[in-house]
Amino acid sequence: MKTVLELRNVTKEFPGVRALDSVNLHVGRNEVVGLIGENGAGKSTLVKILAGIHRINEGEMLFEGKPTSFRSPRDAFNHGLAMVFQEQSIIQTLTVAENIFLGREQEFLRFGIIDKRSMNSAAKVELAKVHLNCEPSEKCSKLDFAARQMVEIAKALSLDGRLDSDIVILLDEPTSVLERREINLLFEIIGELKAKASIIFISHRLDEVLEVSDRIYVLRDGAVVHETASADASITGLHEHMVGRQLDHEYYRENKQRSSFGDPVLSVRDLTIDGELRNLSVDLAAGEILGLAGVVGSGREAFARCLGGLMLPSSGEILIDGKPVKLNQPNQAVDSGFGFVPSERKSEGIVSGLSVAENMTLAAGNRFSRFGFIRFDRERTECQHWIERLQIRTPSVKTPMQSLSGGNQQKVVLSKWQIVGSKVAVLDHPTRGIDVGAKEDVYELIREMADQGIAIVLLGDTLEEVIGLSNRILVLRDGEVSAQFDAPAGAKPDQLDLISNMV
Amino acid sequence: MTEKHKQFIRNLVPIFTLLILVFGIAAYEPGFLRPRNLMTVTADTMTLFLMASGATLVIMLGSIDLSIQAIASMTSCIVAAMLPMFGGTALLFALAAGAAAGILSGLVVNYLRIPSFVATLAIGGIMTSVAFWASNERSIYISDEDKLVWLNWATGTTAGIDHEVVVGLTVLAVLSVILSLTRFGRLVRAVGSQERAVVASGINVNGVKFFAFVISGFMAGLAGLVMAARLGSGSPTLASEFLLPAIACIIVGGTAITGGVGSIWKTFVGALIIAVVRIGMTFVGVTVFAQQIVFGLVLVLAVAMTIDRTKVSVVK
Repeated sequence: MKTVLELRNVTKEFPGVRALDSVNLHVGRNEVVGLIGENGAGKSTLVKILAGIHRINEGEMLFEGKPTSFRSPRDAFNHGLAMVFQEQSIIQTLTVAENIFLGREQEFLRFGIIDKRSMNSAAKVELAKVHLNCEPSEKCSKLDFAARQMVEIAKALSLDGRLDSDIVILLDEPTSVLERREINLLFEIIGELKAKASIIFISHRLDEVLEVSDRIYVLRDGAVVHETASADASITGLHEHMVGRQLDHEYYRENKQRSSFGDPVLSVRDLTIDGELRNLSVDLAAGEILGLAGVVGSGREAFARCLGGLMLPSSGEILIDGKPVKLNQPNQAVDSGFGFVPSERKSEGIVSGLSVAENMTLAAGNRFSRFGFIRFDRERTECQHWIERLQIRTPSVKTPMQSLSGGNQQKVVLSKWQIVGSKVAVLDHPTRGIDVGAKEDVYELIREMADQGIAIVLLGDTLEEVIGLSNRILVLRDGEVSAQFDAPAGAKPDQLDLISNMV
Repeated sequence: MTEKHKQFIRNLVPIFTLLILVFGIAAYEPGFLRPRNLMTVTADTMTLFLMASGATLVIMLGSIDLSIQAIASMTSCIVAAMLPMFGGTALLFALAAGAAAGILSGLVVNYLRIPSFVATLAIGGIMTSVAFWASNERSIYISDEDKLVWLNWATGTTAGIDHEVVVGLTVLAVLSVILSLTRFGRLVRAVGSQERAVVASGINVNGVKFFAFVISGFMAGLAGLVMAARLGSGSPTLASEFLLPAIACIIVGGTAITGGVGSIWKTFVGALIIAVVRIGMTFVGVTVFAQQIVFGLVLVLAVAMTIDRTKVSVVK
């Protein structure tokens, strides 16, 4: 089999993190290659290198045997490497045909004017390849999410017949928002595509990768740890390679999991957020960890943001210590005792231009100021206390936040709410994008917070994390609670039980 | 440590630029360095600095205030028109009018969610009309007597020090304290650096923005008073040529147009740079009309050098 795309000893470093560590990978002509790994394993860095968004530090990339480096996703596309991303690149105000041929309108120019009719009929051909039955002249905003995904794939397929070179199509988590019927269709299309192109299929759903791929690479901590033909692989085997260990009770500090809790702190009654969440009711006691499981769009993100005061509830009631509270603004949420750790650490969690100390006391109101003037000595003492206690690696309290590693940044965010004295910590993907060692520190910290009597709502980065850390798990599906599991130490529910209620 | 050093050097660039310009002019005209002359140049610069001082806070938020020249012109008219009748109360009234313009901008930005450049452009237009109305569309002269009694604090000289410089240094000190020692000042930097994270921390971001606009309006109003005092008159177009140099001196001083980074002393240095450039151009023979070309170029260059490109993914 002829190799179309190859990475040789590719290394990529970011300040403080080695995101890829001499990765070797090759994709043959007419081959479907699966790429799996946990969040933070290096998948998205790899994709961005292929797309020309990031530059390689060491090693090289070969396309059709020639060393290549794409300047941009568009450049990659023009050379025959098309990507279909999780976050869609479809422009909603343009028509289906205009999206498919965006930037390549020359083909349809007549005297400098786009011949819409020929463009639309050419688009029709591409849409037929993905079995999408819609008018090319329709605005993309009228299509549903799955259909837009198909348009995106059609856009990638339009390279076929227009390029002399081989075509590689990269599908990054294409199934996460698709229904089973649509997934089947996608797999059917991939089967047809194989005759014309090579495909890289990235997903966290092992069963799907196994079903659709010829060969699978497993990434962990930035390195390829396993390569196998799909025929020789099993889900459990792949999973072990992916997490790098047998399911480990130590990892999530299960021995420190509490079995008794304090007084009830948070009560949610019939909480509804239009279009996101319906009639969620739950109670949470001091020191208890409530895990929320669900796919994107299940309503768990909306619930978390609502508790942070960043999303308005439509109806229902939220009570703290038995008293109803209003959460129309983030400051009301903070005053009521909520501490929200957002999933987007860099844009919502930290203020990168401020120092470590300034970030730590950001939410503490006037506790470190008198008549508006900051009491620097008090602030320094308090921050140094937390830096030692949480073992935050920073040269000083004055160090700019942006020069800390992701894990240490997240510890600062967690300390911010402990300084405030939050009663309920809402942790939205608290370990996203931080390395393994720092993850363990965060787990330790979450256990400590529970010991202090903080009630915790946890949206884990992985299902395993939710199961490992929580006392109780709510599974959400399409905005409703579909199941509830107790998860005491030593008797944790099985992943498959949760998944069957998630989809 | 290297990053720290780089930052340190970056902070010094404007000061070195100023020194090079000053000594450059001194090479042409040695008399330029005489203390009396330097005092006069500094005093001449203070109206520009006052106008830019409050707007520095707004720019640090990542917003902009395009109404400052209109506010300054308006307060010059108010004080000139009211002094004969109301005496010292006219000063308070003019300053209040400046602050009121800032309040309006703050309300429009916060409650109508309109970008600050549009909001302040519109408020500036309204203030210009107020100035025309207050002045009956002409210049109003301030009598020497009124000037001596009520405006000597701005234009007099004590022990060889021009009062403009005293006013300027006082504003420099007060705003610097506010920016570096108060919670409000810290929040100004925080909002400019990462507004969403500040919101998520439960901070009343609207309040921070509101006060920044009020301070900007107040300082522009004060600049208008000092201008009126120096020129002995108020006019609805008194400060109209000052917007471009005012924004330029904020940026030339090293405050980033993208927000989060900046300080008042930077604007002070920037104002002196702009003033010295202006004097230098006069020496070289660039006409007043062509000087705006140079300010425009300086502004573009300074923005290009200080901008934080990670924050600007799309330029509109």
